Amino acid sequence: MMLRFLFFVAALAASAVAGAQTVTFGASVQLTGPVANTGRYYKDAYDFAIEKINAAGGVKVGSTQQKIALKLLDNQSDVNLSVRQYSQLLSQDKVNFLLGPFASNFVLADSSIAEKSSVPMVQGGGASDEIYTRGYKYIFGTLPAASDYFGSTIDALAKLNPAPKTVALLYADDSFDVSVAKGTRELLKKAGLTTVLDERYSTNASDFSVLLSRIKSGNADVVLVAGHETEVLNFIRQAKSLGVSPKLYSFTVGVPSADFRQALGKDANGASGMTAWLPSTSLKDQWFGDAEAFAKAWKAKFGYDPDYHAAAGVAAVEAFVNAIQNAGSTDPQKVRDALAKVSFDSVYGHIAFNDKGQISLPQIMIQIQDDKVVPIFAGKDFINKLVYPLPPWDKR
Amino acid sequence: MELLAQVLVSGVLLGGLYALMALGLALVWGVLNIVNLSHGALIMLGAYTSYFLFTVWHIDPFVTLPITAVVLFIVGYAIERGILNFVIRGPMFNTLLITFGIEVILTYLAQLWFSADFRAINPTYAGANFAIAGITIPTVQVLVFAIALGLTIAMWLFLLHTRIGRGIRASAQNLVAARLYGVDPKRIYALTFGLGAALAGVTGGLYGTVSQINPYIGGPLTAKSFAIAIIGGLDNPLGVIVGGLVLGIVESLTALYFGSTYRDVASFGVLLLVLILRPSGLLGRTA
Repeated sequence: MMLRFLFFVAALAASAVAGAQTVTFGASVQLTGPVANTGRYYKDAYDFAIEKINAAGGVKVGSTQQKIALKLLDNQSDVNLSVRQYSQLLSQDKVNFLLGPFASNFVLADSSIAEKSSVPMVQGGGASDEIYTRGYKYIFGTLPAASDYFGSTIDALAKLNPAPKTVALLYADDSFDVSVAKGTRELLKKAGLTTVLDERYSTNASDFSVLLSRIKSGNADVVLVAGHETEVLNFIRQAKSLGVSPKLYSFTVGVPSADFRQALGKDANGASGMTAWLPSTSLKDQWFGDAEAFAKAWKAKFGYDPDYHAAAGVAAVEAFVNAIQNAGSTDPQKVRDALAKVSFDSVYGHIAFNDKGQISLPQIMIQIQDDKVVPIFAGKDFINKLVYPLPPWDKR
Repeated sequence: MELLAQVLVSGVLLGGLYALMALGLALVWGVLNIVNLSHGALIMLGAYTSYFLFTVWHIDPFVTLPITAVVLFIVGYAIERGILNFVIRGPMFNTLLITFGIEVILTYLAQLWFSADFRAINPTYAGANFAIAGITIPTVQVLVFAIALGLTIAMWLFLLHTRIGRGIRASAQNLVAARLYGVDPKRIYALTFGLGAALAGVTGGLYGTVSQINPYIGGPLTAKSFAIAIIGGLDNPLGVIVGGLVLGIVESLTALYFGSTYRDVASFGVLLLVLILRPSGLLGRTA
């Protein structure tokens, strides 16, 4: 009996020591359910970043070197479940800090848990402006503002020949896409383009034949779609089968993702989009070397190419590590204040948050050409030639 | 005017796909009195079957349809004999729960086996179309429509004129009398569920050719099939053609005149109206 008690005490002491030496992150991510194919980027990003950082010794908290642990839950692509899981991560699992889920509507709901508990959450999955206009103090994001997603594309439009005049704007009815549409509308107005169709559709819509017919009859030169990957797949396939080929079309999702290009094959060529991240050697990182090396290591480890979701997820972990080291503590309040001031270079780009907590990065316009993602336009200049105007489907 | 004509054509063609989707669900519901909530998951499995036959062995998706149908028939037959048969006399709630459970299992197995990647069956002619009087008509969708119509009529003739078909109808109408005349309900039920699954498989192969495939497409497809079956009625396979066409056209016109976000409002509005005015469906027998 006595012996057993001693064991118990020893075990307790051991776990206390182990507890003192780890910083635990908690996250609830879409591992199953309809958005699982994007959710996996975040699981893999968190795992990979933590593995690398731990291999390099972990995180320095004051004078001690601590390892990082991750408690990851599967929210099954269900917002309500993810909210419960974030509460559980804080109340039951006692994690130190929160990493975010994928998608704006999830971040919108889940960040309220972080705010209520005064524990900082850094997320690379939600870009909607709505997340940052509520005066929250504990939410930080590594995706640039949704309202500017089409910014680089619209800048590029002004320099095209023949100049496009008319635009159709389609968007799904969720937080991120409504936010994109709102920002895009203003940008289009400033650019002096005529909007011939501005229409919201239901999330998970599968039939776009009516919208495509309206695009055709309205003679839209340019079509901008803010939606989800399944919708964009259906949109492009139906555009082909209805013979609708605007001079240019651009999508907020899908274009940078490997499975999107694979599903569409040749039909993906010509689709434009944007990304805040490309795996270039100019992006230096303390743990991964540079972004190109990161992309190679990722492909070797997980068997698919990373896109900006992956890099934004890694950046979220690195932001925490930097903030904890700067704060010299794992006190949520101190780390929160340090997060507000971080400024470092990462595999994803330069990380610093504005007073609302969101990063500011320019979007690079991209286009799929010969089954590859080609950077087209950034800042004020073309990087590569845009295929424009797109040839009709039967000539592709 | 041209726009309206184009939208109507799209609505009719969409209706064909809808009808095909609902055909298997309506058959199983009418005969076994089971609302098969795993119907959409079976469509998903059919889509993957055709997808792999197409990408791995390069078999044309239309040629794979019979193979997919046979594969799914076996899956359906096994599900009925192995699981559903034990609860077939149970209350409706039990069969709902069981088929829901099958849906969940099939969906998550699909994610485990095939990952959550989006896929599409994309033969070179997938986007082909032709024009009549300025209206663009997608070739594959016309084929889908023809197959839907053909299968529905074949199903109708099968139920009317074959021994098994009459056995199926007899079991649906009066089980006791059917048994007295030598119909073996166990066999009939498994055959019917297998047929329903085979139809789901064919739908899946065609769905993957016009849309996209991932493990989670099943749920919304079941919901849509359910609505179509109610609108058309369960008594007659031709009902689903009517239900599918009504839904396809109503949705398309709603998207044209009221906006795309009102599509579901319109389709479920039609469903409510039918339930109130003609509870046994547009082609159903009125009580």
